[in-house]
Amino acid sequence: MAGPPERHVLFDRSPRNVRPGETLLAALARTGWPALQRSIRYHRPRGPYCGVGHCTGCLVRVNGRPNVRACRFEPADGDAVTTENSWPSPRFDVLGVLDYLFPGGIDTLHGFRRPVWATRAYHRVVRRLAGYGAAPDPAAAVVPSLPPLRRTVDVAIVGAGVAGRALAAALAGAGRPVVVIDRALHPPAVPWADLLPRTTVTFLPPPSPGGDARFTLLGFEEPGRGVEVRAGTVVVATGGYDAPLWFGGSDRPGVLTAEGAFALLAPDGGAPFERAVVVGGGERVGEVLERCGDAVAAIVAPNDVAPSVVRRASELDIPLYPRSLVLSTAGRSRVRSVALRTRGQGPRFSLGCDAVVLAHRRLPTPQLFFQAGARMEWRGGAGAYYPWLADSGETSVPSLFALGETAGFLPEGGADAAGRVAAAILGRPLPEGAPPPRVASDGLPEVDGYYRELAAEPRSGRWVACPCEDVLLEEVEAAHRAGYRGIEVIKRYTGLGTGLCQGRYCLPDTLLLLARLEARPPPEVGYITQRPPVVPTPLGAFATLAETAGEAGAP
Amino acid sequence: MTTLARSEYRVVVVGAGILGLYTAVHLARAGAGPILVVDRGFLSSGASGRNGGGVRQQWETRATVRLARESVEAYRRFGVEFGYNVWFRQSGYVFLAETEAELARLRAVHDLVRSEGLPSEVLGPDRVAALVPGIAPDASVGGTYLGSDGTLYPFPAVWGVYEAARALGVEVALGVEAVGVDAPGGHVAAVATSAGRVATPVVVNAAGGWSAEFSRQAGLSVANVATRHEILATEPMKPFLDPMVVRPSDGLYFSQTMRGELVGGVTVPHPAGTAAGMPSSPAFLTTMARALVRLLPRLSSLGVLRAWSGFYDDTPDGLPVIGEDPRLKGFVHGNGFGGHGFMLAPAATRRVARAALGEPIDLDPAAFSPARFLAPTRPPAAERLLLG
Repeated sequence: MAGPPERHVLFDRSPRNVRPGETLLAALARTGWPALQRSIRYHRPRGPYCGVGHCTGCLVRVNGRPNVRACRFEPADGDAVTTENSWPSPRFDVLGVLDYLFPGGIDTLHGFRRPVWATRAYHRVVRRLAGYGAAPDPAAAVVPSLPPLRRTVDVAIVGAGVAGRALAAALAGAGRPVVVIDRALHPPAVPWADLLPRTTVTFLPPPSPGGDARFTLLGFEEPGRGVEVRAGTVVVATGGYDAPLWFGGSDRPGVLTAEGAFALLAPDGGAPFERAVVVGGGERVGEVLERCGDAVAAIVAPNDVAPSVVRRASELDIPLYPRSLVLSTAGRSRVRSVALRTRGQGPRFSLGCDAVVLAHRRLPTPQLFFQAGARMEWRGGAGAYYPWLADSGETSVPSLFALGETAGFLPEGGADAAGRVAAAILGRPLPEGAPPPRVASDGLPEVDGYYRELAAEPRSGRWVACPCEDVLLEEVEAAHRAGYRGIEVIKRYTGLGTGLCQGRYCLPDTLLLLARLEARPPPEVGYITQRPPVVPTPLGAFATLAETAGEAGAP
Repeated sequence: MTTLARSEYRVVVVGAGILGLYTAVHLARAGAGPILVVDRGFLSSGASGRNGGGVRQQWETRATVRLARESVEAYRRFGVEFGYNVWFRQSGYVFLAETEAELARLRAVHDLVRSEGLPSEVLGPDRVAALVPGIAPDASVGGTYLGSDGTLYPFPAVWGVYEAARALGVEVALGVEAVGVDAPGGHVAAVATSAGRVATPVVVNAAGGWSAEFSRQAGLSVANVATRHEILATEPMKPFLDPMVVRPSDGLYFSQTMRGELVGGVTVPHPAGTAAGMPSSPAFLTTMARALVRLLPRLSSLGVLRAWSGFYDDTPDGLPVIGEDPRLKGFVHGNGFGGHGFMLAPAATRRVARAALGEPIDLDPAAFSPARFLAPTRPPAAERLLLG
């Protein structure tokens, strides 16, 4: 079959082939489980986890550029890829001994203070342990110095998922040109729209109220081209992501989100695991079964299991364990089994597996709303912050709309919501009737009750609350015991949420934990500050935008 | 709703940043009596939790050099004294000059710093290149360096003084805002707070960027101006850069922290005042990125992880305001530190505490006294070696 040729790259000096349209991670996963990283503080083995370019599980060095996410990187012919932060290799790393030497964690807040004359030595050693990759090679011209991409448009839609595409089609049908921005490497085409793929943008600054103030979105197109989009109206439809779950050894390689698992799959569904335990009981589990059901050994649901999942599991002959607590995983550099207990003081049992796929909960991606200064509201049923919305889908910031999962709309209301936003933008009357349903605003998410029950269980293994910075759950609890209150303070005290994912995979659960410890509702424990940029943005991309950006954002 | 433990205090400190808490520690150690610290935010929500952690002794004014030198000694001992490791790493400040005129200015600073007994050095381009690996060949004509300058991790310093203050019996009320002062007959009698009115003969204004607002709430017009300054951090890397690198010509500063992140800022003017809050701006991100990439081209592929901003508490002459306000007995200033309150805090707050207790302080009144802004002619700019 004719087509673009395979590309040849060097991975830790050994040749690999990468197929057209394949990420480096997927290419590596074709030949076995990819071990690419060690954790930042204790050099614990880590594996691919999030699959969407946020976590630290698949960082590699490419042509002298550090911290490239293999799950979002399509190599070019001749690229030199090396692993980082381990010696001699990620599978066997000498510094992995730190994990055994410090079972209670390394206390950098109180430790290494005495004797004062040893300060310099402490600094030298501890500093060397920091960071993932080495600084970029001086010689490596890794970011192409392309001129920045600038667009001034009427309507910008951020997110080319189902919601964003539906709206783009409605607006284009009415003759309104739109720009659609999406992070995906290969988002589906959006007819009649100007689609900017591989592009991530951040709001800067929050628009001033009223007038014809234009929104400024600064960002970059991977791997490093600056992007500036100015728009009169912005619709955020950035979707959501698969949530993490805490248990002993929840950071062990092989534990990963559904999105993480999908990032490892070959086009034919081939996976680098054969006996996965899938955690969850809803629609997302159905999607996992759809895409790699052959590699699923069991389904463990924190709560009840949806009838559709029960039916599908029985067709595939996959055992179901409803209402179960995930206690811990075992294994060395790869998960080997998972320990469970049936809820309500039921029996303990364990299941052999080679992967644990988290598909129990989705979280929204609200970064752009925070950055635009939109009023946010806590929606307890989902355990997350969502923008306050008018019936039209407009946020508290005029001309800023929200759509889809990130807005909290339930799937069945998606089309109605898109219709309303389109009507509002086109200046047409809104449809009659109540606005489409959103996630419940009161109560607490199911996972909160789950964690309350889990808290009574004895803990085994390491409980890593924040994998990016290797912050242990015990450290969060110690900060609480020391009298520190509120998520902002706990974050500063422990360093939790300050790593590469900027808290996506630790702060939502930490907020629930602190609400329980502080005995007050999550909104009182605090906001989760979302600082720009949305994802790490190369300095080179911002630098090319310097020439005219000084006035960007002014009316 | 917070309720305060007492209705009467010996001293009320407004602001629970490093300045307010350190002042409270000095006061409590001096046996001042019941002390209350109030702050409208949470711990480290202001500039104490938003600064770049630089601690330098290279200044244009002798008085600042002396405060800085004393503070460096205090931060060296901080871990032993307060139980928290601030990771104060004395790996120097490199001041860069782009032109011969700037180098001449830095030489004058160097002469002053050396006259205070600190071994500052003048650097040629070769030494600069050795200290700043990967610097663009034409980026500087030289600079100055003082190896005992350094950087620290600000948060543990806040935790350390917070816990020390509490252990000494100081009441720290977070989420409580001071909104005014009762001063019948020109003498402080009480402070109005969001948690009620408390009687006190002395109030210390250590409110950082909000100090001018609080002084005005007490009926005092002051020269302090809050200005917003921005800062960013990159992805963490293995160490490649030891010193803090600064360039007075555009206010650029950056260092690689203990965590491996490059943290720094550059001067980008914003309207004065706190009303606009603390957003980040496109002008800052792009200006800072351009400055860094031009100086260190190797950083072009490095990711900016997060950006934030905070307030400097600026004064017209660039020097802090320390001492009792001559217009209002019992109203003591410990503010106006610009962007260097954190680095001067240990030494400066010792004087603020003495002033609060009515004791004489050993600082040049012409340089630090609040009275200097009340004369018909304002003092000229004194300390202009400002960054960020």
